[in-house]
Amino acid sequence: MRQDWRIIGLFIGGVLVLGTIVGGPLLYSIKLSFYTAASFIDPPQWVGLGNYVKVLSEPLFWGSLLNGVTIAISAIVLQVVLGVTIALVLNRQFVGQTVVRALSIVPYFLPTVVACLITQWILDPNYGLLKSVFASFGYGMFDWGGNSTSAKATIVLVSVWIWTPFVVTCVLAGLQSIPGQLYEAARVDGAGVMKQFWHVTLPGLRSVLIVVILLRGIWMFNKFDVIWLLTKGGPLNETETLPTLAYRKAFLEFDLGGGAAVATISFLMLASIILIYLRVFPIDEAKQGR
Amino acid sequence: MARVTLQNVAKSFGGDRGPWAVQDFSLDIADGELVVFVGPSGCGKSTTLRMLAGLDDVTSGKILIDGRDVTALPPKDRNIAMVFQNYALYPQKTVFENMAFGLRVRRTPQHEIDRRVRSAASSLGLEALLERKPRQLSGGQMQRVALGRALVRDPDVFLLDEPLSNLDAKLRVRTREEIATLHARLGATMIFVTHDQVEAMTLGDRIVIMRDGFIQQAGSPLDLYDRPANAFVATFIGSPEMNLIDGGLMRDGGALVMRSGGLSVNLPAQSFSGAERDVTLGIRPEHIERAETSTAFELVVGLVEQIGAQTYVLGKIDGNKIRAVFARDDALRAGDRIFVNLSQEKLHLFSRESGKTLRRTSTKGENGNGRELHGQAQLRRAELQG
Ligand SMILES: Nc1ncnc2c1ncn2[C@@H]1O[C@H](COP(=O)(O)OP(=O)(O)OP(=O)(O)O)[C@@H](O)[C@H]1O
Ligand SMILES: [Mg+2]
Repeated sequence: MRQDWRIIGLFIGGVLVLGTIVGGPLLYSIKLSFYTAASFIDPPQWVGLGNYVKVLSEPLFWGSLLNGVTIAISAIVLQVVLGVTIALVLNRQFVGQTVVRALSIVPYFLPTVVACLITQWILDPNYGLLKSVFASFGYGMFDWGGNSTSAKATIVLVSVWIWTPFVVTCVLAGLQSIPGQLYEAARVDGAGVMKQFWHVTLPGLRSVLIVVILLRGIWMFNKFDVIWLLTKGGPLNETETLPTLAYRKAFLEFDLGGGAAVATISFLMLASIILIYLRVFPIDEAKQGR
Repeated sequence: MARVTLQNVAKSFGGDRGPWAVQDFSLDIADGELVVFVGPSGCGKSTTLRMLAGLDDVTSGKILIDGRDVTALPPKDRNIAMVFQNYALYPQKTVFENMAFGLRVRRTPQHEIDRRVRSAASSLGLEALLERKPRQLSGGQMQRVALGRALVRDPDVFLLDEPLSNLDAKLRVRTREEIATLHARLGATMIFVTHDQVEAMTLGDRIVIMRDGFIQQAGSPLDLYDRPANAFVATFIGSPEMNLIDGGLMRDGGALVMRSGGLSVNLPAQSFSGAERDVTLGIRPEHIERAETSTAFELVVGLVEQIGAQTYVLGKIDGNKIRAVFARDDALRAGDRIFVNLSQEKLHLFSRESGKTLRRTSTKGENGNGRELHGQAQLRRAELQG
């Protein structure tokens, strides 16, 4: 019985801490979305659903949503495909395996700011590393940040660069948990390398991939730092996403209510997508594929 | 169905210099034969099976299936099926798909897959479980699925690596019988690995006993029981273990005498080659018989174990530890002194140095098969006792 109290105590404590540091700001932001305020000091004015009506009728909102989804999906697909491939390579027996495995996670340690600065230094149209390389071959430099597709691609590539090691690490751990005898059984059953991958490796990685894609999805959808550091949403809002839009509204356009409304909508959409995702792909092994 | 031949197969996991997991393994397995590999842990049973399956390369030697050299072929081109010790069922596939996988890989038509899986499932009693996942099955059910997966493939050779070791005693016996029935029905070539000698004796047409990577002896169960090639085989087969008594062999007039402590056993000169001096005498517990007369050996009973139908006795004859099996005797107690005879035709004699059976200097030569001990082994109380 004493143990029950300890568990309940810990549970209540956890709820309180979470409630304060997560729930508090969330509720405050939701509350704020029903008011207009130019700053946190001004007395806010109640406008009801006014902010929502305004935000949802803006093409910029829908453009940002589309941008965010495009960037998130491209980045996740690339991260997962690359991550699984690299993990499969690193999982083979070779000399120096431990060292290479350790090194492979290094980009993950790189502060985002540093990664973004390095990228800019490489890609800058006026003095970047690539420009010099191109110039030495007699070609002009392409302005990466000046075009919608290449700007998005830059953001995606930097995200892939920083976050693929995370996927590699998770998948490597997942690979260790697949019994070697399953591969032998598959070989005896007549399966070649591809069939072994489809019928043994991939199903064995299922739980890991579900979690990895979920986490990467949430983080990419809420991605702010890389976008802000690289493009600030430009050119012409072509890389604007919901997080940058919320920030822009709240802190650059002094529309706290509008920013809060964008953030709230973004939160609700993400929450419902996660719920649907977890229904379709339950993490719990026992519920899989039934 | 197929004939399997291994020619001087050897395997080392450390290149050409060893250590060797399997050495000089030569065996011819007839079409439809059920051969059991048996031996203590680490003797190379699994390695041999894996080389047959193509999962491990051979270091030297050749493997032929139906006369075709498969030594260099990958598993999928050998048409073998293997049942693994821990089943190795695909955890995300249903029982049906587990069994069907080998057929799907080979692009078998769907109706044929259905037919074969259902027929295997019905012969193994798995019909009700076809839609379940492996984790929803008991050990015995998983075992049967693993067997079913091998069955549907209709392979040339079945390889079974300790398939019963994870089952409880009752289920073991039942599955063992199922495998025997299956073998009889299919007439398939099967190789069965176990370290359980009872399993080997009951299941095998032929038993291959291995130790330290070498074949010790290959033969029918009773052949191994009656005519073990060496002391290792003699003690490995049979339960309780054969009694071994170390002693010295000497000539006493025309007869051979084996002496150990106070015990002296006369052996007729023509029964065993008497070249060696240090020998080991072997007698199985069940070949020790109760006797009435005091001309027999005196056994001092140490421990009595009642098995039900039989009574096991651990005792001493002239200081030598002896295990004996008698018909049930409720009255036997520790400390009792009883008289026993050693069944004379059932005596074995081994070289102490090599452990090899010391064969009768017979005209039949060295192959040992068909050898019989009908020379009257004379047993008598030692005159030198005291
Ligand atoms: N992959 C490997 N690398 C190195 N040595 C190995 C490997 N597999 C087996 N061995 C060695 O080869 C020898 C034979 O092993 P094997 O697995 O064939 O034994 P076994 O007879 O099947 O034993 P058990 O009854 O315990 O399964 C052992 O000494 C083992 O240590
Ligand atoms: Mg083994």
